[in-house]
Amino acid sequence: MTTTASTVAARTAAADPVGDPSFGWRRRIAYVVLIGYALLMFVPFAWSVLTSFKTLPDSVSGSILPSPWTGEGWQFALTKLNPPIPTMLFNSALIAGVVTVTNLVLGSLAGYAFARLHFPGREALFVIVLATLMMPDQLRLVPVYLMLHAVGLTAGVGQYVGVMLISAVVGTSIFLIRQYFLTIPRELEEAARIDGAGFVTTFAKVMLPLAGPALAAVAILTFQGTWNAFFWPLILLQDPGHYTLPIGLLFFRFAGGMQNDWPPLMATVVMATVPILVLYVFFQRYFVAGIAATGIKG
Amino acid sequence: MAAPAGARRPPGARRRRVSSEPRATKREWLAGYLFVIVPMLLYLVLNIGSMVYAVYISLWRWNLRTGPVRFLGLDNYANVITDPVFQKAVANSLYYTIVWVPLTMAIGLFLAIIVNQKIRGQTFFRAAYYFPAIASSAAITTLWLFIFAPDGIFNQVRGVIGVNPLFALFGIAPNQNWIGNEGTAMNTVIALNAWTTSGTFMLFYLASLQSIPSEIYEAAAIDGAGAWDTFRRITFPLLKPGHFFVATVAVIGALQLFDQALIGGGVNGDPNNALMTIVLYLYNTAITELNFAKASAVGIILFIVIMTATLIQRRLFGQAPAW
Repeated sequence: MTTTASTVAARTAAADPVGDPSFGWRRRIAYVVLIGYALLMFVPFAWSVLTSFKTLPDSVSGSILPSPWTGEGWQFALTKLNPPIPTMLFNSALIAGVVTVTNLVLGSLAGYAFARLHFPGREALFVIVLATLMMPDQLRLVPVYLMLHAVGLTAGVGQYVGVMLISAVVGTSIFLIRQYFLTIPRELEEAARIDGAGFVTTFAKVMLPLAGPALAAVAILTFQGTWNAFFWPLILLQDPGHYTLPIGLLFFRFAGGMQNDWPPLMATVVMATVPILVLYVFFQRYFVAGIAATGIKG
Repeated sequence: MAAPAGARRPPGARRRRVSSEPRATKREWLAGYLFVIVPMLLYLVLNIGSMVYAVYISLWRWNLRTGPVRFLGLDNYANVITDPVFQKAVANSLYYTIVWVPLTMAIGLFLAIIVNQKIRGQTFFRAAYYFPAIASSAAITTLWLFIFAPDGIFNQVRGVIGVNPLFALFGIAPNQNWIGNEGTAMNTVIALNAWTTSGTFMLFYLASLQSIPSEIYEAAAIDGAGAWDTFRRITFPLLKPGHFFVATVAVIGALQLFDQALIGGGVNGDPNNALMTIVLYLYNTAITELNFAKASAVGIILFIVIMTATLIQRRLFGQAPAW
């Protein structure tokens, strides 16, 4: 690691026209800061993994590696929680999966319409889309609950539907896809239209295949956001059998009061994090691109 | 098939399109409306409708089963505003916002500037710094509760490296219960959220940094400007749109602090309401007290606070948001 840093430093120092002698040192310090901060990002997660394999006394003893290694924490988390973790994993995956699909379908249709089709009231409707991003979710807690309750979506399978409806197509998805469509040259679809293709065909056959990167970013951000969602699942999933992992984790922690049983809690933390971690490792650039794109609004 | 047809058509096609314009336009309208109708209906009901509904509910004494009982006017609002717990919640949310927003923006900007240099492993560092933001608030907060527990690793490490005298200056015990102590609970949440969100702000700032033309830096280098001068006189001022965007997003998010407060301090934001926030108060009013009308009033107040904060920022930065 030191060699890498110093060779880079040497190379850039040589290329530096001013030839500032402090330049190499500055660069070295920069790398120390960069690597130190990166470690700060990873160490807590590593700690949760290690702790999940410890016994309770060992988990607060300050030892780094588990002694002895034990699977009891995992066994407890997987079998003793209500609902069982596999049920919560299923609930999380079901809700996140459906919401990702609805955001892709509805978001790309609307994103295309707002980018390309001309119809009266388009700008006003788009302002509404953006306004939904400004509105605090909590303001809607009571009305949304009452409305969903009135149509029977706060009991049984309806609870899933309620959570899905709330995030079926979020403003960010429409916005991201619209911005992407705006960058695609008009000539492509005009050629299709001259050949007599209708709006639906032009959208599905010509434009949608070009929107891959935007769709990937929306899919990943939506899946991650829904998998991690806390507020609406907490309000709308009343019956433990329908809990997602974050909600189960909250009640698991509350159940212990101040006597937290750390190893199984950490095993649950690991299980809640690993699916998103895997996505992140493989699709890191879409995460970064998606977040960056929301940052270049307008 | 497409190519020859297209090649034969141009002059005639243009005439045909003009003559069929009204019908084509109508079809385009129809397609446009069909493409946006589902989201618009959802927003009409779940956003606009629920906002109007929230205002309505907040003006009544509300029965859980039967709905409106008696018109109260602004009584629910008066009850909320005069409640000492709500005042504590507002104070806590404002404290969190005032400390957390500049702190996290500063870290995010610092990281963005370093990562934007020509360094090896640029992609890796960007990905690493954004990493904590991918995990759920429930998982991260539980993990932090463990790390900052009295017998947690944070206290043990500072004991081992011998910095406890330094902490003692601030009245912090060797086995400090960080999240369970009234004096340190909120600051611990601030540190937690600065850690998780600094990477997100870094990405926002990177997007903004890359919009600054490199010629400006070249000109500054020719004039012999040092690193600090370049930052202070060029980068920082030119990032104004970036500052505005990040600050707006940050303040809106900060005023809605909830997950970490509930997970760390339970429904009352223990200890002694140290973690009570506006949204936790709203949640508690609705879910624990089952007072829907009062909770709706809190929601409207929160909305007004957020709108005011956004407008103030707009004034401060002297710029309209892009939206």
